[in-house]
Amino acid sequence: MALNLTNPEVQQREQRLGSITCYEGTLKDMAARGCSGCLGNQRRCFTTASSCTHFHALSLLIGIKDSVIVDHAPNGCASGLINFSSNRVTRIAKNPQHARIFSTNITERDTVFGALDKLRATIRAAYERYQPKIIYVSTSCTAAIIGEDVYSVVEEMRAELGITIGFAAVEGFKSKIWASGFDAYGHAVTDTILQAPTAKKNQVNYIAFADIGRQQVDELFARLGYEVLYLTGSTTNEEYGRASQSIATFGQCGAQSSYLAGALEQLYGVKYFQTYLPYGGIGFERFLREIGPFLGQAEQAEQIIAAERKKYRAELESLRQRLGGKTAVVLLGASYAYEYTRILRELGVNVLHTVGYHYDPRLDNQSAEPVAAVADARDFADVPTSVNDIQTMENYLLLRKLRPDFVVSRAHGDGCWAVRLGIPDIEGRIGLLIFGYKGLVNFGRAIADELDNQNFVRKIHAHYRSPFTPAYEAREPFFAIEKEAG
Amino acid sequence: MSGCEMIEQSRTTCALGGMYTALAMERVLPVLHCGPGCQAQARSLLGTINGAQSAVPFQESVIPCSNFGETDVIFGGADRLRTLIEHTQAAYQADLLIVFSGCTPEIIGDDTASVVSSFAASRTPVLFAETAGFRGNNLYGHAQLWTAICDQYLRPRGAEAVIPGLVNVFGIVPFYDPFWSAQLEELALLLRSVGLKPNIFYGRGKGLPEVDKIPRAEFNLLLSPWVDLPLVRRLREQYGTPYLHYPAVPLGPTETSRFLRALTDFAALSPARTEAVIREGEAQYYYYLNRNLQWLYTCRVLPKYFLVNASAAAALSLTRYLVNDLGLIPDKIYLPENVPEKNRSQVEGYFRDTELNKGVAGFPVIFTEDGGLMAAEFGDRLFDPGTLAVFGSFWDVLFCRERRIPFLSVTTPQGNRAFGVRHYCGFSGGINFFTDYFAVLAELGPFGM
Repeated sequence: MALNLTNPEVQQREQRLGSITCYEGTLKDMAARGCSGCLGNQRRCFTTASSCTHFHALSLLIGIKDSVIVDHAPNGCASGLINFSSNRVTRIAKNPQHARIFSTNITERDTVFGALDKLRATIRAAYERYQPKIIYVSTSCTAAIIGEDVYSVVEEMRAELGITIGFAAVEGFKSKIWASGFDAYGHAVTDTILQAPTAKKNQVNYIAFADIGRQQVDELFARLGYEVLYLTGSTTNEEYGRASQSIATFGQCGAQSSYLAGALEQLYGVKYFQTYLPYGGIGFERFLREIGPFLGQAEQAEQIIAAERKKYRAELESLRQRLGGKTAVVLLGASYAYEYTRILRELGVNVLHTVGYHYDPRLDNQSAEPVAAVADARDFADVPTSVNDIQTMENYLLLRKLRPDFVVSRAHGDGCWAVRLGIPDIEGRIGLLIFGYKGLVNFGRAIADELDNQNFVRKIHAHYRSPFTPAYEAREPFFAIEKEAG
Repeated sequence: MSGCEMIEQSRTTCALGGMYTALAMERVLPVLHCGPGCQAQARSLLGTINGAQSAVPFQESVIPCSNFGETDVIFGGADRLRTLIEHTQAAYQADLLIVFSGCTPEIIGDDTASVVSSFAASRTPVLFAETAGFRGNNLYGHAQLWTAICDQYLRPRGAEAVIPGLVNVFGIVPFYDPFWSAQLEELALLLRSVGLKPNIFYGRGKGLPEVDKIPRAEFNLLLSPWVDLPLVRRLREQYGTPYLHYPAVPLGPTETSRFLRALTDFAALSPARTEAVIREGEAQYYYYLNRNLQWLYTCRVLPKYFLVNASAAAALSLTRYLVNDLGLIPDKIYLPENVPEKNRSQVEGYFRDTELNKGVAGFPVIFTEDGGLMAAEFGDRLFDPGTLAVFGSFWDVLFCRERRIPFLSVTTPQGNRAFGVRHYCGFSGGINFFTDYFAVLAELGPFGM
């Protein structure tokens, strides 16, 4: 289905892709239902704090150069951006800059009388403070429910200030999937800084949070005769403008990259590769065997694969010895959950269960090619799986029940509870750190090393007293899922 | 810019941030009736980027939340909230649940109060704090929580006697004062040292048993410029408990001595005992300061002026310390927390109440909610390198780094480095403060090169 790139508002993932946040079963079952369009979302009768589209749209928009964000919302809807801002001002950051975000600070009076004047005043004040080339105006739950016509002010202020003003409709209540916020970023970028190509180049786009670990990817594509254009948090607007000149795009994951990659494909014919992500050895080989011929480099791709296999064979063998027979549970975002499932199996680990923080039955590619999770469901053994929007209480019960040797998670809070239960937590690093055989052995080493001294985890566990009731601790993990679709 | 209430670089969260006051009390659990991402916003500013803190034991990702969605906007979320509370009562070892409601249920008119009141007979009490984000910031939310406790939880004192020497400690807002827990532990030591029994509600081993004792205190101690002032006034009406309002957490020898003497006077404590505590505290402070004196007078850059961009509480504590003990002069004080209009002249007066010579006491005190105002007003202002220091939050890091201004983060969001039992309270807090500050100056190297 084509993206609606002309509507000011981005279409949410649920409607666009049939994405869900609630499921329990197996990957093969979920993939089959998703492909036949009968994967209904379920609800839970008991839920814990999650995250929202607003937060995640802003987290990416702050990375766009020469721009500021005006958030038409109560103060709190932008206060958390310090979290993402803090990563941008480390002493090793290339061009350190704090997030430039202004809240219109909608107050109680405004919920009655409207706050469009405040929006105008804030846009003017933000312009005065930084003289940005672009202003992104974002909406919020409150702005939407009180019926603010934010987009009309956007159009009005474009005329008044004569600068680019983008729009991101990101009301947290409208989508259960925070990745819809990444889509709003893709929509706003497409609307403001993408440009039609003057000519095509030997260039491939990579869309991600960050370009950490890019060196080996640059070297790889250089051997194929291509340059990689990184569309990440440190990309310049000129670089975004050149993205349409590429002939192919791949991204870190379906959640973050799909919309922008889909828009580049739809508007400028930049082929979006998303079925085989280049993670671990198997992923790397499949990725290269797909994109290599497309770039006219089938033979070179085979040579690279052979060389990489040989380079890492011995270490991989020794890691398989160290890890063989270990058990794991994976808790990660929609793409990485299943990428790491395959990667762990490649290392000889038995994956007992995979938790995805949402699931996309398809992505925004124009072709009929399956998403990576569906391809893996087709190509590999089945795995028990569940989908939730970081429902830590559910995941806690699951870990208690399965007692794996370790878990793979990141950043979302579940890993801490694994550790309290005495289960080591290995970070499932995202982006290029898990690229190819090098990523595979680095990850395998991290697991094996962690398992070699578990004192930190063992002793935290020894001092852990559950804050939950014995009755809760005894429940089945998925008790809260209400079976009828809704 | 009149009529514009915009906020850049927010130092506060919305009212939902009041949940952190509940999270600081053991076995008290917030139940959120709000959007799925509201908690994450508050957490980033009051937790993660505020000393790398998270709530214990109810770490944020297990906090029950209705994750208010589109169907709730259309059909109302009250029934789902009821189910959520039932499950919460069954799942958590909590003695008190407090429902915090966000913007969405309030605008669509969810009758949250009646859902909560239907749990009146349940074993675990459930309170309701109305904390729609558009009503105010986290300090408003903190006040709403205490209003809920006073209205819906505290019982009349009845026949129970006042406990001699018991003093309720108010004014330090957990998490919003990044150093809150160690701050309170130090304060408890100070109060005990002069013969009082501190009743503290937040931190390790503190919670409802302490809240239950509120009506039995001999007096309430308020240690903030304005936060919790309505609360102690209310408690005076509700229980007849008098209060001592000392407007700043005492930091350093001058303020700590002054505070202890005021306390001794108010509570009719033993002056001799207090003076002994002061002598010992000052001796300790000046012992450590003297150990650094040679270093200090060896080609160091020693700024004479300072800017503050911090909560009124943090700004006042350290302004008094910097002026009275370190001998610095305020350049400009920014208080980006939306101090209520009615409190502003009084709060400004507290900043004037120092040992500063009149000739240099004309510094402005700016009331705002715009954390970016200091940087915007500073602009390209010229200053001699090494003459100026800044005390603010993590938002000010880059402003100072770009201008090579010595900088210490003292307010929320404080930063992403853990600081454990660090505190800026009392005599030893003064030692902590000057060592942290000297460490910043050391980074400049001798001659500020």
